[in-house]
Amino acid sequence: MIPRPLTDRGERVISIRDIKFTYENGPEALRGVNLDIRSGEYVALVGGNGSGKTTLAKHMNGLLRPSSGSVEVMGKPALDRTVAELSRIVGYAFQNPDHQLFCSTVDDELAFGPRNLKCPPEEVTRRVEFALDIMNLRDVRGEPPLSLSLGERRKVSLGSVIAMDPKVLILDEPTMGLDAVQSRELMATIRKLNDDGHTIILITHEMKLVAEHADRVIMMASGRTMLDADAKGAFTDLAILERCKLVPPPVSKLAHRLVERGVSKDILSPEELVFELMRLRGGP
Amino acid sequence: MAGFIDLYTEGNSFLHRMDPRVKIASVLLLSVLGFLLTRLYSLLLLLGLIFLLLFLARAGLGKTTLALKALLRVMILIVALWPIFDPSGTPVLASLGPVKITEPALWRGVTSAVRVGCLATVWYILMLTTSQRDMVRALVKLGLRFDFGLALSISLRFLPTFGLTIESIKDAQRARGLELDRGGVMRRARNYVAVLVPTIVSALRTAETLSLALQSRAYGARADRTYLHDLSMRRSDAVAIAAVVMILVVPAVMKYLLGYEL
Repeated sequence: MIPRPLTDRGERVISIRDIKFTYENGPEALRGVNLDIRSGEYVALVGGNGSGKTTLAKHMNGLLRPSSGSVEVMGKPALDRTVAELSRIVGYAFQNPDHQLFCSTVDDELAFGPRNLKCPPEEVTRRVEFALDIMNLRDVRGEPPLSLSLGERRKVSLGSVIAMDPKVLILDEPTMGLDAVQSRELMATIRKLNDDGHTIILITHEMKLVAEHADRVIMMASGRTMLDADAKGAFTDLAILERCKLVPPPVSKLAHRLVERGVSKDILSPEELVFELMRLRGGP
Repeated sequence: MAGFIDLYTEGNSFLHRMDPRVKIASVLLLSVLGFLLTRLYSLLLLLGLIFLLLFLARAGLGKTTLALKALLRVMILIVALWPIFDPSGTPVLASLGPVKITEPALWRGVTSAVRVGCLATVWYILMLTTSQRDMVRALVKLGLRFDFGLALSISLRFLPTFGLTIESIKDAQRARGLELDRGGVMRRARNYVAVLVPTIVSALRTAETLSLALQSRAYGARADRTYLHDLSMRRSDAVAIAAVVMILVVPAVMKYLLGYEL
């Protein structure tokens, strides 16, 4: 597939240049990563456990600082700014919602971020209402977040980041532990946020979600990016997938099996596959 | 951080192989000796003996250097502060207003510093050569209820994990714009609520899961439990404890029965 020309995409929001990072008493977690995230993109960041996905993402809002190389957020070096300053632009919802929730009501939890950003009270209210609506949390707004179900806790934790109105949203495995219905609902919300102009960076192990939602896929293995491509072409090279400890989504696997019959490798959805098969049989 | 929680270093010195009960008893006896001795030269002799043990334990250089550096700082502090709070004796070496520094007080400071050095180092050797598991095993064998022993070893085991959880929680809250190190004392204390609550919740959740996991593996099914690893005293252990008792008894007899000043 031909990648979209750069001019079609939005402005650069995050630029990462040759960053390396080593944890204290640990192995080198990032070994020279280069990438640009552009406004409005829906990027999936995938790879096996320990491949460096989360480490890379934590560089985007300053939680980690590179040992060498540079990170720019909105064209300015991230190094000069605190995590709190960067959190206005880059929101980060952690994997475990219980690591974020501590307030006595959902309302307070959602207001925590905007208050930290010193938003005036009416702006805090406006943002809390917005987050309540988009995450569909209106019914539980007075409840203590920690007493909610995992699905709801995850929605609160995501909502608490959305209430900060960041341009970029990093979501670390947002569907982990959710059932199919909750997962679909959450992904629809994320899609809506992306349609509204938020840049999404989705860290996940579920390739089905990647195939369904992402425009662009970044695959990582042992601290390096192995592939950075449009989603359309991301699952065509099985050797790269294997090196990144990934398995293509089921429909793409099926397409690979049917290559000899003339089916294209870059199929990402059942609908596409049906069209492709009909095309091969000579029209509907 | 984890390195400070557990000082234990793998090894195969005679101190590593020694029965942990003997080690605990020896350390207690040597601590008593540290208080029994009052003269500087005898305390220096004890310190020499303890450092010989440290050498024989083949202590890992990195950790031990770090520990000794910290200890040295405490010792210097004791020597520096002692004369200020203890102005008795003559001759006076220096004086500044009401503060007098006398020679005997300075020596008393040095003596106390060496005593603290002895005690700290001997307990350090125990921590260095005894794994947490062995320590708990010894305490259980010495009469601690097994449940308490288990609780103790589980707590120790989870300390590093807990440290990581706290780091993750801090990161999660910083990503929401929380600035932990900004503002006055009250403000900072309030900021830490955002870290403390998730930490406690996470600890409680872990504890609950853990207790279910223990029960599902039949913990407490029999009152008369058996042990896979049992401690047994060997001849070398008997020799060691006898030697330590002698090291304590001889000076005690000399001091209290024969009236020597040690």
